[in-house]
Amino acid sequence: MTTMLWMAVVATTLGTLLMRMAPLIWMRRRLAERQTEDSVEPMPQWLSVLGPLMIAAVLGVSLVPAQPSIASWSATGVGVLATLAVWYRTRSLGWPVAAGVAAYGLTLVLAGSL
Amino acid sequence: MTTTTTPLRASPWVTGVREAIPLLGGYIPIAISFGLVAVQAGFSAWEAVAISTLIYAGASQFVFVGMVAGGAPLWLVVAMTLLINVRHVVYAPNLAASMTTSRWWPALMHGLTDQVFALALTRLPQLPEAARLGWYTGAALLAWLAWIAGTAVGALGGEWVVERWPLLGEVMPFALPALFLVLVVPRLSSFRWGLATLVTIAAGALLAVLGVANAGIPLAALCGALCFFMVKRSPVTRSRS
Repeated sequence: MTTMLWMAVVATTLGTLLMRMAPLIWMRRRLAERQTEDSVEPMPQWLSVLGPLMIAAVLGVSLVPAQPSIASWSATGVGVLATLAVWYRTRSLGWPVAAGVAAYGLTLVLAGSL
Repeated sequence: MTTTTTPLRASPWVTGVREAIPLLGGYIPIAISFGLVAVQAGFSAWEAVAISTLIYAGASQFVFVGMVAGGAPLWLVVAMTLLINVRHVVYAPNLAASMTTSRWWPALMHGLTDQVFALALTRLPQLPEAARLGWYTGAALLAWLAWIAGTAVGALGGEWVVERWPLLGEVMPFALPALFLVLVVPRLSSFRWGLATLVTIAAGALLAVLGVANAGIPLAALCGALCFFMVKRSPVTRSRS
């Protein structure tokens, strides 16, 4: 890489880090003020709503198969159902994911052999 | 939303590492793909690893190497990459209330990816305060190292891995939506949150189908937020009419 390209990498790194770190510093100050002044809201409501919804948005985007086909959409549907069913029973993180991946893979294999 | 804290059976670090393992199913295939794409775009293996170590933001790294390979001006490469990462701005404030007063937290935000945020948003409030820093460090460090290792594998032998186990590359990425699903489902506890969450998921999927996956994430979240606030305001509107 050229020096200019390295500078672009460093600028992107610092920019991304700043976007992750600066809001935390701001929020911690706000929380500290909140302890001394009751009038300061702990967090703007729009921010507390957007955070969880970003994850829902990433879920929506990641549900779309990279190569859409009847087989991959069917596998996604079966994988989602298997994940939800195992989550409902176990309320854990690891087993539902393992079950979802297994169901997804199995459906892809079966669909491919048809 | 109320949460109850539960004591840990293992050390916070180990618990964090163990609970971040499901992330690897999604991380490693994507990191391998990135390593492969970066080398094909003309970067050396160690440059690809350096990009993953420093920038550490999945989708934007693909844009970065793709635009550089396409000869785009570097200011535009940086601007586009940062634009894709702008969603990260809302992550840390959502975790701040669950963090301790340790000075390490701001530096650890380098590891705050979509996946680590989703996991931490659910788990941090459930952990005893003394365990939170260790848990987050363990989870974030595993995810970061897996991303770097996956990039190295992809850059050095990605083509060989894909040729040898083609199904693995197709199946393992489903771990990511499965994990997000498990993290999102508990939020469907109220009508308002449930509706906003389902609208966001549907909008995100629709925008991805239309080919706007990166811009689709903030747009879908905005659709869901609009829905969230409309549900709150709808009874007032009705009483006025």
